Amino acid sequence: MASRFWTQGDSDSEEEESDYEDIDENVVGASESTTTAAGSRYLQGNASDSDDSDTQKRVVRSAKDKRFEEMSATVEQMKNAMKINDWVSLQESFDKINKQLEKVMRITEADKVPTLYIKALVMLEDFLSQALANKDAKKKMSSSNAKALNSMKQKLKKNNKQYEDLISKYKENPEIEDEDYEDEEVEEDEDSDLEFEEDPSNIAAGSGSEEQSDEDDTRSADEQGADWQKKMSKKDKLMDKEFKKDPSEITWDIVNKKLKEIVSARGKKGTGRVELVEQLNFLTRVAKTPAQKLEILFCVVSAQFDINPSLSGHMPINVWKKCVENMLVILDILNQYPNIVVDDVVEPDENETQKGADYKGTIRVWGNLVAFLERIDVEFFKSLQCIDPHTREFVERLRDEPLFLVLAQNIQDYLERSGNLKAAAKVSLKRVELIYYKPQEVYDAVRKWAEQRGEGNDGEFEAVESKGPEERRGPAPFVVVPELVPRKPTFPENSRVLMDALVSLIYKYGDERTKARAMLCDIYHHALMDEFSTSRDLLLMSHLQDTIQIMDVSTQILYNRAMAQLGLSAFRNGLTAEAHSCLSELYSAGRVRELLAQGVSQSRYHEKTPEQERLERRRQMPYHMHINLELLEAVHLTCAMLLEVPNMAANAVDSRRRVISKTFRRFFEISERQILTGPPENVRDHVMAASRALTRGDYHKAFDIVTAIQVWKLLKNWENVSQMLRDKMKEEALRTYLFTYGSSSYTSLSLDQLSKMFDIPESRTHSLVSKMMITEELHASWDQPSRCIVFHDVELTRLQALSFQLTDKLSILADSNERAVDSKIGGGGGGGLDGLPLRRRDGADNNSNSAALTSAAAAGGGGRWQEKTSYGQARQSGGGSTTTGRSGYYANAGGGRPVTPGQISRDRNGQTRGGAGSYGRPSYQSVSSTKMDSSARMVSLNRGIR
Amino acid sequence: MAAAAAAAASKYDLTSTMAPNLDRHLVFPLLEFLQERGLYPEEELFKAKIELLNKTNMVDYAMDIHKSLYHTDDVPQEMVERRVEVVARLKALEESAAPLVAFLQNPSAVQELRADKQYNLQMLNDRYQIGPDQIEALYQYAKFQFECGNYSGAADYLYQYRALCTNSERSLSALWGKLAAEILMQNWDVALEELNRLKEMIDSKNFSSPLNQVQSRVWLMHWSLFIFFNHDNGRTQIIDLFNQDKYLNAIQTNGPHLLRYLATAFVVNKRRRPQFKEFIKVIQQEQHSFKDPIIEFLACVYVNYDFDGAQNKMKECEEVIINDPFLGKRVEEGNYSTVPLRDEFLENARLFIFETYCRIHQRIDMEVLAEKLNLNYDEAERWIVNLIRTSKLDAKIDSNSRTVIMEMTYPNVYEQLIDHSKTLSQRTYKLVSQLLEYAEAQPAR
Repeated sequence: MASRFWTQGDSDSEEEESDYEDIDENVVGASESTTTAAGSRYLQGNASDSDDSDTQKRVVRSAKDKRFEEMSATVEQMKNAMKINDWVSLQESFDKINKQLEKVMRITEADKVPTLYIKALVMLEDFLSQALANKDAKKKMSSSNAKALNSMKQKLKKNNKQYEDLISKYKENPEIEDEDYEDEEVEEDEDSDLEFEEDPSNIAAGSGSEEQSDEDDTRSADEQGADWQKKMSKKDKLMDKEFKKDPSEITWDIVNKKLKEIVSARGKKGTGRVELVEQLNFLTRVAKTPAQKLEILFCVVSAQFDINPSLSGHMPINVWKKCVENMLVILDILNQYPNIVVDDVVEPDENETQKGADYKGTIRVWGNLVAFLERIDVEFFKSLQCIDPHTREFVERLRDEPLFLVLAQNIQDYLERSGNLKAAAKVSLKRVELIYYKPQEVYDAVRKWAEQRGEGNDGEFEAVESKGPEERRGPAPFVVVPELVPRKPTFPENSRVLMDALVSLIYKYGDERTKARAMLCDIYHHALMDEFSTSRDLLLMSHLQDTIQIMDVSTQILYNRAMAQLGLSAFRNGLTAEAHSCLSELYSAGRVRELLAQGVSQSRYHEKTPEQERLERRRQMPYHMHINLELLEAVHLTCAMLLEVPNMAANAVDSRRRVISKTFRRFFEISERQILTGPPENVRDHVMAASRALTRGDYHKAFDIVTAIQVWKLLKNWENVSQMLRDKMKEEALRTYLFTYGSSSYTSLSLDQLSKMFDIPESRTHSLVSKMMITEELHASWDQPSRCIVFHDVELTRLQALSFQLTDKLSILADSNERAVDSKIGGGGGGGLDGLPLRRRDGADNNSNSAALTSAAAAGGGGRWQEKTSYGQARQSGGGSTTTGRSGYYANAGGGRPVTPGQISRDRNGQTRGGAGSYGRPSYQSVSSTKMDSSARMVSLNRGIR
Repeated sequence: MAAAAAAAASKYDLTSTMAPNLDRHLVFPLLEFLQERGLYPEEELFKAKIELLNKTNMVDYAMDIHKSLYHTDDVPQEMVERRVEVVARLKALEESAAPLVAFLQNPSAVQELRADKQYNLQMLNDRYQIGPDQIEALYQYAKFQFECGNYSGAADYLYQYRALCTNSERSLSALWGKLAAEILMQNWDVALEELNRLKEMIDSKNFSSPLNQVQSRVWLMHWSLFIFFNHDNGRTQIIDLFNQDKYLNAIQTNGPHLLRYLATAFVVNKRRRPQFKEFIKVIQQEQHSFKDPIIEFLACVYVNYDFDGAQNKMKECEEVIINDPFLGKRVEEGNYSTVPLRDEFLENARLFIFETYCRIHQRIDMEVLAEKLNLNYDEAERWIVNLIRTSKLDAKIDSNSRTVIMEMTYPNVYEQLIDHSKTLSQRTYKLVSQLLEYAEAQPAR
């Protein structure tokens, strides 16, 4: 390897110089003509390449060496091929070397092509022109060989174009080194001139620090020891040379200039990202003023962000930790010098940071703490996404969470103190997002862990620092910053307390998106804490169901998560209907995984583009935030069963009527169709088996089957829930029984028998049956002295049923006519419809104002559809507190609809559903008829009174 | 207030819950009532009163209470000092408001005022040298008067102030002040007017945050309780106000205890049946978040169909009504006092139970029925016979087996069908005439 070869001979000083020049050149490089820059760089590139391996870890180096070896081996092959004039193998080798080149470039992270490669190219070119010139030889070649020659000709032409400059340079002057050195020498002279110029002022300024500088001198002399030299990276050595020898000579100007140099090298090709960070790190130690140190630290942090270039991968964890540490130091400085203001609006003065620690006025430094924090958060999140959750690494990574929390807490404190409450709200959201999904137990564990770590030693920070030996060897930093901000997070006992504090700050100062997200987290957390009604109220009050469709995807996912959690919470509280309405939409499309961002669901019907897939993968929730899908499914199906089984029994004759859960119906039908049913295996099988038992009224068996589902044990206080489930099953079994056998097989049934049969207390049985009577589900009444239910036979004949259908359809027709006329004429509708019953008018109003969908359902419905649906509607008919917005809620099946990420503009079929609720029910007893005969049957005690 | 809360011995007493939503001065009537009922030790009530008064300017009253509390004639030094201070401030305010007050007390001058606010201000400024400062002083003066307990004066000044004021915020608070003053003077009619005016303002005004608006609504509802349970027509109006979507929402979010009053109003008011059904749904939803016998009673009858429970609750309800400052208003008749609302409530509650009970029964034992209605057998029989006679109930009494037999009438299918289609022709007719009208109007245009 040529490059290694000649670098070894170089003296240290030369190397340093060349590198210094390299940086210099990068600064100027933009303006300079590219040819010369590239030319000189090309050689230095080699130099720095081999040197890089010193600064980097050994593992990397061996890999790099291997690549180089491979490459030179290929060159050897090419040479051999040339000797025997074998163009076929030459072509192969050429392809191979190109591939190897890519690898080498990737590893060295440089854009300079190795000389080895250029050399090979030149050699090839020469050989090719030779071969072409020699026409006779060409004719003699075999056909395949000639073909290869031709294609090689073209390839080489194309390929060499890229490296034209380098090749010509190489050809001109294969011995560039000497020339380069001369250049550098000149540069050095200039540099030292510069230093001398600055010296006097510096000495004058810091004459008192001579002792210290002496000390430093001796130390630096010590450090120049032999084994030391090896370890030291070239850059550091350069810096040391420049700065260490006489620290008192270092002035703000030098540091500033150096900083500018380094910063301008950032992002350019050929600048090692890791080195950049190291250089900057060094600078932080020699910074003269706190403000300058701050400025440099900001650069360090952003350079650290740059280390991971790709969007999908995550930042190396140790870098992440260092980054957090740097941020903490930034906060230390900010706390120590309250007159320093961080700002990203105005570009501060050139020399703003020159003002020393004793400067009284405000010093502006460019930077954005919140943006940094958010980036750190994103990196943390990404790392959790990427790491396999079943490894130890994942757990280790999770333990870093308190680190982030403490940083966020400190930043928030700082921002609050400096009055930037909007930014504080943003930071506070980040904290909320780390806490909201943790149940109290997990929260306690995190709290304990954080405290332990705080006590044990100063924790990971220490470890982080000790990892990098370079941290300790530098000169004592000029600006010493004591650790002012606490390094361990403080957690209140109860996560609710923390949530409340954070969330209330956000509600006060956050922007719309922050508020919405905080609200969703709040809802989620409340639901997690079993406060179903609170979280439901929050959801309803926030009107989030209406606006969620237009929000960004991650917020929509959060919304779905909150809905799922709400459903679980409702179930734990025994509110099966509510739980079902929360969850049914999630399950309606069979894309739960996608909706909750917990894995990708395969869809047969529409293929995703790679782009979409990548986006989706980026949205995935880390494993520890997952909601157990199996549990969710179990809850959903169980709720659906409890609602749907009696419903099916009630409307056995007329299957077109109201379906509560389409998903459940579909599953049930599938399982019914099976000829042989084996013992249940998964959640769905269990619930289906239970449903079959329940249909027969066998609550005992149904309960046993459902409780056999393993995943229940993940449910919080399962004992109570199972008790609740048992009661519910009994009740629903009773209802199913009455529906199925009641009026068709019995004329009367005694209460005692019924309550014994289903093991329900008499009073409860009475209340249940009474309710069924009142809602007209059961055509029967009590015979009080004998405690019996007496069934009435009110079956309609076929003709009657049909005529009811006819009248229903007619009224639908009339409705639509009115609507049509209304929309044509407009306005006049109200007056024209004065004489009609209130119900109708409401319907008409509703049509003109689609937002008030509910009023149709509420006023026009009044039927069962509504009475049985969930909690949503009472509030719903209560309307929004300030707008009519709440109506969307009901339209969304009482539970709000989960939103589909990436498919924002889904039509609101709530509307059509609402319509179906009030009009489209061509059955023998439509809404209105129910209403009428119920009112006719009602013992009206009001007739006489006024 | 704190003291009152501490002494919350009575389970269903809402005073401590209500007080934060009321004006200081409005809490006095409540405390008076509590004192009358003797639910709390008198001393604590006195202390609560003094605490209330400390923040107001009614120093003399505070002194009186202090005396009666400690049975001394000595008054703490700070009270005396405060009195001096108050008097001084009163004087100062009086002085600064004097020009305007003088102007307003001069009837001939007042006649010069017109409906045009700008003109008035201009005129006052030009001819009487009364500028914005004086007008502001008037407001302060009125406020001070109110603080001192001179409600009628405050009401007058506030009325005048509103005519001159240009600042909408100020005008709003003047309106609140006026309402409070009218309530305290027990001018229910005027107060009702003010209430409606205030309501309009709250509904129409653009609040900085919806939260403020909700809060204002809750206040308004609390204050309105004074009016509604004293005004003749109040029971209908309370339903009209509280049952509006916006207000019902405010109740559900911020003041579920107000449901008690709405529920009571629904029970005693027979004309609001349609809304009642809606209200039942609200109850169904809120019964977990707020426990109140009256709410629970309704839940028993209409949600759970638990008639024994309802009957128990009825007794509790009685207790609640008697001890509630708004509901338990007494009417003195000769020697003994009655609580009219209680009787009305019980009667209606009984009807509720009976009505629902009958709907799901075919045959009822009279004894059981009597027990359920809290009546003895004969009373019950008489009551039912009365119902049947006035054709409110479709039933017969089988005195042999001592049962009531409901007449189960199922609606005739044909009747139902006719019912369904009856409106159709009417609607079509309307539609056609509407179209015709439109068509006629069209060419003319």
